[in-house]
Amino acid sequence: MVKLLLQISLILSLLLMGFVSPLSAQKTFSVWGKVIDENGESLPGATIFIVEKQKGANANENGEYNIKLKPGKYTIECSYVGYNKQVKKIKLNGGDKKVNFYLVSTGVMIDEVQVTGTQDENVESVRISEISLNMKQINEIPQFLGEVDIIKTIQFLPGVSSATEGTSGFYVRGGSPDQNLILLDGSTIYNSSHLFGFFSIFNSTSVDDITLIKGGMPAKYGGRLSSVLEINQSSGSKTDWNVKGSIGTISSKISFGGPIIKNKMSFLFSARRTYIDILLAPIIPKSSSFSGSSYFFYDLNLKFDYQINKKNSIALSGYYGIDKFNFNNSDIGFNMQIPWGNAMASLQWLHTFNENFFIKTMVNYSHYEFSFIGSQNEFEFKLLSGINDFNFRSDGFYKLNSRNILRFGIQGTYHYFTPSSVSARSGETQFDTGDIQHMYGLETGAYISDEFDLSEKWKFYTGLRFSSFTQFGEFTRYIKDDLGSTVDSKYWGKGEAVVTYPRLEPRVSIRFKTTKNSSIKAAYTLNYQYIQLASISTVSLPTDVWIPSSDKIKPQQSQQFNLGYFFNFNKNMFEASVEGYYKIMNNLVEYAEGSEPSDDVNDNPDNQLVEGDGETYGIEFFLKKVTGKVNGWIGYTYSFSNRQFPDINDGNPYPAKYDRRHDVSVIVNYTINKKWQIGGAFVYATGNTITLPESRYVIEGRIVNEYGQRNSSRMSDFNRLDFTATFTPRNMKKKINPVTGEKEYVPRRFKSKWNFSIYNVYNQANPYFIFFENSVDSQKGTISTQAKQVSLFPILPAITWSFEF
Amino acid sequence: MNKHSIFIIYLLLLVVSMGMIACQKNISIEVPPAESQIVVDGFIENGGLPFIMLTRSASYFSTTSSDQLYNAFVHDALVTLTVDGNNFILSELCSSNIPDSLLPIFSELTGIVVTPDSPFDICIYTLLNPTFQGEVGKTYFLKVEVDGRTLTATTSIPQIVPFDSVWFEVQGTLDSLGWAFAIISDPDTLGNAYRWFARRINHYPNGQIKDPTYIAPFNSANDDRFFNGLTFEFPNARGELPFSDKEDDKNIEEGFFKVGDTIAVKGCSNDLNTFLFFRSYYQELANQGSPFASPASLRSNVEGGLGVWAGYGVYLDTIIATN
Repeated sequence: MVKLLLQISLILSLLLMGFVSPLSAQKTFSVWGKVIDENGESLPGATIFIVEKQKGANANENGEYNIKLKPGKYTIECSYVGYNKQVKKIKLNGGDKKVNFYLVSTGVMIDEVQVTGTQDENVESVRISEISLNMKQINEIPQFLGEVDIIKTIQFLPGVSSATEGTSGFYVRGGSPDQNLILLDGSTIYNSSHLFGFFSIFNSTSVDDITLIKGGMPAKYGGRLSSVLEINQSSGSKTDWNVKGSIGTISSKISFGGPIIKNKMSFLFSARRTYIDILLAPIIPKSSSFSGSSYFFYDLNLKFDYQINKKNSIALSGYYGIDKFNFNNSDIGFNMQIPWGNAMASLQWLHTFNENFFIKTMVNYSHYEFSFIGSQNEFEFKLLSGINDFNFRSDGFYKLNSRNILRFGIQGTYHYFTPSSVSARSGETQFDTGDIQHMYGLETGAYISDEFDLSEKWKFYTGLRFSSFTQFGEFTRYIKDDLGSTVDSKYWGKGEAVVTYPRLEPRVSIRFKTTKNSSIKAAYTLNYQYIQLASISTVSLPTDVWIPSSDKIKPQQSQQFNLGYFFNFNKNMFEASVEGYYKIMNNLVEYAEGSEPSDDVNDNPDNQLVEGDGETYGIEFFLKKVTGKVNGWIGYTYSFSNRQFPDINDGNPYPAKYDRRHDVSVIVNYTINKKWQIGGAFVYATGNTITLPESRYVIEGRIVNEYGQRNSSRMSDFNRLDFTATFTPRNMKKKINPVTGEKEYVPRRFKSKWNFSIYNVYNQANPYFIFFENSVDSQKGTISTQAKQVSLFPILPAITWSFEF
Repeated sequence: MNKHSIFIIYLLLLVVSMGMIACQKNISIEVPPAESQIVVDGFIENGGLPFIMLTRSASYFSTTSSDQLYNAFVHDALVTLTVDGNNFILSELCSSNIPDSLLPIFSELTGIVVTPDSPFDICIYTLLNPTFQGEVGKTYFLKVEVDGRTLTATTSIPQIVPFDSVWFEVQGTLDSLGWAFAIISDPDTLGNAYRWFARRINHYPNGQIKDPTYIAPFNSANDDRFFNGLTFEFPNARGELPFSDKEDDKNIEEGFFKVGDTIAVKGCSNDLNTFLFFRSYYQELANQGSPFASPASLRSNVEGGLGVWAGYGVYLDTIIATN
């Protein structure tokens, strides 16, 4: 009996490893080729599906694919998000066959949308809680002030919400914004917003596509608890020169690119700048006390690609963006300058050993800095905080056989933090603001995963990630008493390890296909996070500082359980899903009650932080109409997000700032004809939590509040409708065919578009914050209180003109 | 100006410049119910008597209530002050029991301005003992017993830190308006904290004294973490009385002293608990309702209640404001 069991288990394991093919041996041939779009750009990740075999493959990073098949007749479908599917019939006999696909983006060929009924990515893949969008789809969604914004777009997805109206910070499944790993061409971006988060730093003309992972995070990613947002910059065309630009209400953009060496080397450069300052400069008179006050931001993006040979290609990408605010009041001799921004540079090398094995290696640098310089007469104050990352990573992809795909890699990041460096002087006197506190850390990771196709029904993903974080000296720990006075300190020398946290992170997901068009998926992930954003206020301010795990602050941990049902219907015209999640988080940090930013001076910034736990759970419904003249989606989320900190709210559990009971988003696009396209977006969400005063009293004659339980009240519910319309003039011109002598229409080289958008169509006054106004009648000695609600954005129309040639 | 208020200005400037005029409306909202607590607002200076105002916190219940500002005095409390092991029982003194001629002195001493036509009766607890004086270096233990509740608090009067010099300086392009400056030499031990008060003792043309009592300007609470052991100068704007509707608290002169003013200044050194309370007090006054701050209740040094029991080591000086 034991022997039999052993035999069975051996056969099973061999089957599992794919070493024993359950199919009878017969000679196979390769069907291979490349998938490119109408601009000649390759489409990595495009799905190639063999209908008869019910099996498929994805194009590699160069847009190439290779599938082994026995001789026979096959129908091959090639699809890619945002592009029309292409179907080819082939006959395979006696040799390999090259089949290239040219996909045309949806919307360009609005007249004929061909849909054939097969399973699609969302049902087929083992990935759960993952959504990809390309710029084409993002551009169709109504945008705030006409400014196409990636982060605001993903806020329309279920499980993703915004903090307050207009902000670009996003919360995934009840996690905080710093728990999102934002990668721009593989480099971490630390502050993804301009202007308090009203705009994100990603210039839409330089972005190709985005992917958001809310759960079931693959082992490749680590260092964050809640989500991964991957943003890929566009590459320049390797065949044609191209200039794109737009003039909008808030900013103008330009991008240009093209081949440096045809079919080998290309580049794309994009720039964006706001011009409120330039428009206002003539309006503010020179004599005004506020003359010289201004605000602007700009972004620069660069991508450079070089296909060295068939096996090797390199890509260089860079980003630099800055916000700059100047405030002047000559009446009181006050001047203030606040610049802040991100910079990123990365170099990628892709080496293809063969169609089943390639390795991508990357080095990059990422930087965020905030500074504040204020002066009044003799007094000058400077504050600087920032983070520098030097990162190396190498990721391998190896298709072991038709059933197993291995992914593996190593990563290392050296972090250099300046949580806050303050200097102040009055005349000749330099204030003692302490030694500048730097913090140093090394974050490493190694992972291996296997995506395993057991049968048509079962698919497994198993991954294991090993990560670690070491805090290095030079470092001084100040030990404080209850009143915040330093009583002792401990010193570590340069390069000396202060503390090391080694951690294991298992990641598992399973797909079970219930029918041809539906599947059930489940996932479990364990994640660790070694750096965190300490935020003192409810909105994301550039003053928020990144603080690493340390001898005092342990790494944050989360465990997420996911279960989802995915189904497509009406010949894949509709994709639908229901997903539930439960997430527990430990060692979260918050500022202690009543902390002030100035407490960071002459102190370790993490001395002000307290640790606690969180729990979030919810259910998400998503229905998407993928094709047709009318498309879009409806998302609904019902969720809870709670926190419990021993030192906050008297140790009682309380709802997180971003606890949302209901969240509904509806996106609709309608292509009326070749010239007009319209769209609408509607959001409804439970009001944000707020801590309200519960009583008032008088100190030195002034009224102060005593506050109630943290986040125990709610503002009124949020709802808003946006509208957009895009007019594309007929970009064709008459030409006489020199051969036939007949008039015919050919596309113009210069194309343009008008976009009209209306934000908050029915002018809903949504709450931004609530405050109590106490007014005192000193004659009568009476006081009256009135609660007031402040709303930010009324109905706001905007126009953008964009062009391309 | 703190960082948060700078950002509020910043946001307003942007909001206005972008044409997004934020709108405000009155709403009614449910407020969590709260139990009324006893509030201590008391101080003792070297050479002075203890003054303690006891009030009750008022629940918001509904947000559209209209109430008497000073109707919440706690009467008939047993207030005991203990110093060097000696107990003193404090007596309750209300402005309605004081002759009108003594009201200016009552205002001056307590910091609460009461005039014969004031609509409210101010009550304080003090020691009616002319030989009692606060002393530098002593610790004062306060105990309040009322309605079955007991509140306790401890403070001390720290060493006096005198100003090296004080003067007036016209600001920027403003003709005759300016701030009061002081140079202070902080002792070489960390943990010193200060408050600043000033009072214009010259008169308006109608004969009324400009400031009936010492007034602390906004943010008048500092500790020496930035300037431990240093000699430095600091500017002081002019503070105003709560809910002042005086002309020079509304027009361009608001926040400024003026050439011709005689300014009595009071520099106070206080302990860290007092500093932490007043820092949270000014933070609350600045942030009330601001979306940029997390609301936090004041950091009281009173056990069993709210408020502050402060000891001040006082240094007095005078400035004549000239051009």
